Amino acid sequence: MDHLRGQELKDAFSVATGCLEKFRDSINALNVFPVPDGDTGTNMLLTMRSAVQSAEEACPDGQDHSVAAVSSALAHGAFFGARGNSGVILSQFFKGFSDALADKEHLNADDLSLAFKLASEGAYRSVGNPVEGTMLTVIKKASEAIQDAEGDLLSVWEAAYSASLEALDRTPEQLPILREAGVVDAGGFGIVVLIGGALRAISNPESADIDLSELTRFECEINNSGSIKSGFLDATLAEDWGFCTQFIIGSVNGRALDLDQVRRHFQGTAASTVVVGDEHNVRVHIHIEDPAPAIEYAESIGAVTDVSIENMDSQNQQFAGRSHSGHADSPALALLPVAQGDGLAHLFRDSGCAGVIEGGQTMNPSVQQILDAARDTGATDVIVLPNNSNIILAAEQAAAAEPSIHVVPTTSVPQGVAALLAFNPEGRWQDNVAAMTAAFSEVRSVEVTAAVRGVSINGIEVVEGQYIGLLDGELSLAEDNSEQALRSALNRAGLSGDAIVTVYCGAGKSPSDATVVSEELEKEYLGIQVDLIDGGQPHHQYLASVE
Amino acid sequence: MTIRIVTDSSCDLPSDLIQQHGITVLPCYVVVDDQTFKDGVEIQPDDFYRRLQAEGRTPTTAQPTVADFQEVYRDLVGQGHQVLSIHVSGKLSGTLNSAEQAKASLDAGSSVEIIDSLLASIPLGLAVLDAADMAADSSDVHQLAGKVRQGLGTHHGLFALDTLEYLQKGGRIGKARAFMGSVLHVKPILRLQDGEAHPVERPRNRERATRRLVELIQELGPARRLAVIYSTDSARMADLKQQLTGILTADQIIEARFGSTLGTYIGPDALGVAITQKVQ
Repeated sequence: MDHLRGQELKDAFSVATGCLEKFRDSINALNVFPVPDGDTGTNMLLTMRSAVQSAEEACPDGQDHSVAAVSSALAHGAFFGARGNSGVILSQFFKGFSDALADKEHLNADDLSLAFKLASEGAYRSVGNPVEGTMLTVIKKASEAIQDAEGDLLSVWEAAYSASLEALDRTPEQLPILREAGVVDAGGFGIVVLIGGALRAISNPESADIDLSELTRFECEINNSGSIKSGFLDATLAEDWGFCTQFIIGSVNGRALDLDQVRRHFQGTAASTVVVGDEHNVRVHIHIEDPAPAIEYAESIGAVTDVSIENMDSQNQQFAGRSHSGHADSPALALLPVAQGDGLAHLFRDSGCAGVIEGGQTMNPSVQQILDAARDTGATDVIVLPNNSNIILAAEQAAAAEPSIHVVPTTSVPQGVAALLAFNPEGRWQDNVAAMTAAFSEVRSVEVTAAVRGVSINGIEVVEGQYIGLLDGELSLAEDNSEQALRSALNRAGLSGDAIVTVYCGAGKSPSDATVVSEELEKEYLGIQVDLIDGGQPHHQYLASVE
Repeated sequence: MTIRIVTDSSCDLPSDLIQQHGITVLPCYVVVDDQTFKDGVEIQPDDFYRRLQAEGRTPTTAQPTVADFQEVYRDLVGQGHQVLSIHVSGKLSGTLNSAEQAKASLDAGSSVEIIDSLLASIPLGLAVLDAADMAADSSDVHQLAGKVRQGLGTHHGLFALDTLEYLQKGGRIGKARAFMGSVLHVKPILRLQDGEAHPVERPRNRERATRRLVELIQELGPARRLAVIYSTDSARMADLKQQLTGILTADQIIEARFGSTLGTYIGPDALGVAITQKVQ
């Protein structure tokens, strides 16, 4: 074989993604660097799924596509779907392919050499402090092995695969932490699976079953605590890992982003820094004690989206606990809310939720996203809090498809928080669903949002630009300023001295904006408790609960 | 041959009950501001909580030493007593290890029984009172130990904390870790079960926490003994006690205070209630 067409390239990485899925749990189990939190396989898989999905959309089957178009779509999808350190580095692997194949109709052996070369260089550039013995080394060794290679495309790809295998084998020699743990590098393993999976797909395009049995020797027994030495995981628990923080910065008003400057900023202030992108979009992955200043910096230079903040200390503890206990899945029961806004996502995670599904009023998660998120918790049973009436249906469909998913049908974030606080992680899911449903039903929900057009509902005249207050989902008033709307809506919720009012301040609002309301309430209702929380949700200036 | 009851200061029993029942309490050690104190002997709660809330190092605790136990056991055995030694859960403290080692060093034939109560604080206190009552009617410490062990499942404790910070700093967070989190200022309720603290629920403020303690205790059914306990706010404890008078009368409810050993982990403004269930 001397060249590949676009369709074949796309199919190869689609098949390789299937291989990665098969090895996902094994890769997770190997993950000890940079933080032993057991998610490298999942992160690489989710990144690949996004890459392949993007290629499917941009280059549908049955048409003739150039490898330039396919690789560009793969790179685009990987960039926007990148998860975790390993995912971001993986996205640079595809960026290298995309750059090398920019004007190519087909992919030949020379193109492949250049693609690997640019992939390797891009991957190294993206990382703050490149560490050898990781997926970086595996990509580099694969690239070096084929720079002056002769032969057809297939034999060159074969050479890259052999070199990557050899490099993976040697990762414990290069990285002491792997040696201590008695494993090869998880991200490196993932790359080898992808290179090998794609190779086998190209060499046997008709074969439905891809054989990568030569890789099973790198797996460690997931159900056996013997593989990752238990002393190692104990030792990691003493470390402070902080927060894994990821986001995308988009350029605003056509102002170009300075990738190098962003990279320098984070390399100086955070660990495990990976910064990739171009003048339009920059993806940042860092490990940091306090994520707030990092996000503030990002907001100062562009529009920040796709924020994900995960507490690695708890992930690490969960992973260590899982390996010790001898059974693969950690929590018996996990809580999975849907929320939008950094503050709300942080609140839910901080309060013990296994994850947060991004979504809300204008962005409803798909059934598949709910299924994936539930699966990613690794829990035996998962309770989903939709927190919006438009999302209950998708949640219930997910529950119908997957018996381990249960839904407590909350229609607002305040209801979701009330349900959350009644959650007992040690209880049975049935008892929890009953207790959480009872708890959220006792809460009154207030929403304040700007009216986008004039309407007249329930006898209330609303002028465009006014702020409307909804009580338990019903329009109940309109005011000229959002604090006044909040105040009036709360009044109608029925307040008394022993009430607890919780106000979640939306994007563009801060708790200090709402202090005028809390001070008034405290004066009027002696003994009332008013908590102001930075929710950061879009669309609603304020969400509030009265209980 | 009489049986004497030995326990440790983590039982948080008030001194009048200790004297009345002739119980020997070995003080645990608490290290505050680089000074070591015997809990309840060399440092009293008011002083301890003042230091706990002041800026400075987090206090730590240490179990009574083997020598402490040897001295007490030798004294009692030397006076011709049998000893029932009942202590804080082995999952929370190494006190039992000290006791076991001291027992192993005694002369053969010394009658010392050691029990892991799987409890702590005033729930342990209630188990100790039960043991003391039964000891008065018993002449064989091994038989008595069997009965005490059988009754351990009737003692329960619920605690409403102001924060889990001290439990975490002290390395005793255990299963209560699920309730960590600081965005919502909740007052977590924990219960003692199988020798550890387990998460129960998260009321939003103190008043609701108190109310929930009462409701949760009511669910545990008729009481033979009832106790309330506080760390720094005695008025809150009085309020809790008032709400419990439907279960037992006010003069039957024991009032106690978390000593410095428990206080190291439970922190200021904590409240607790313990029940010994009436077996029907």
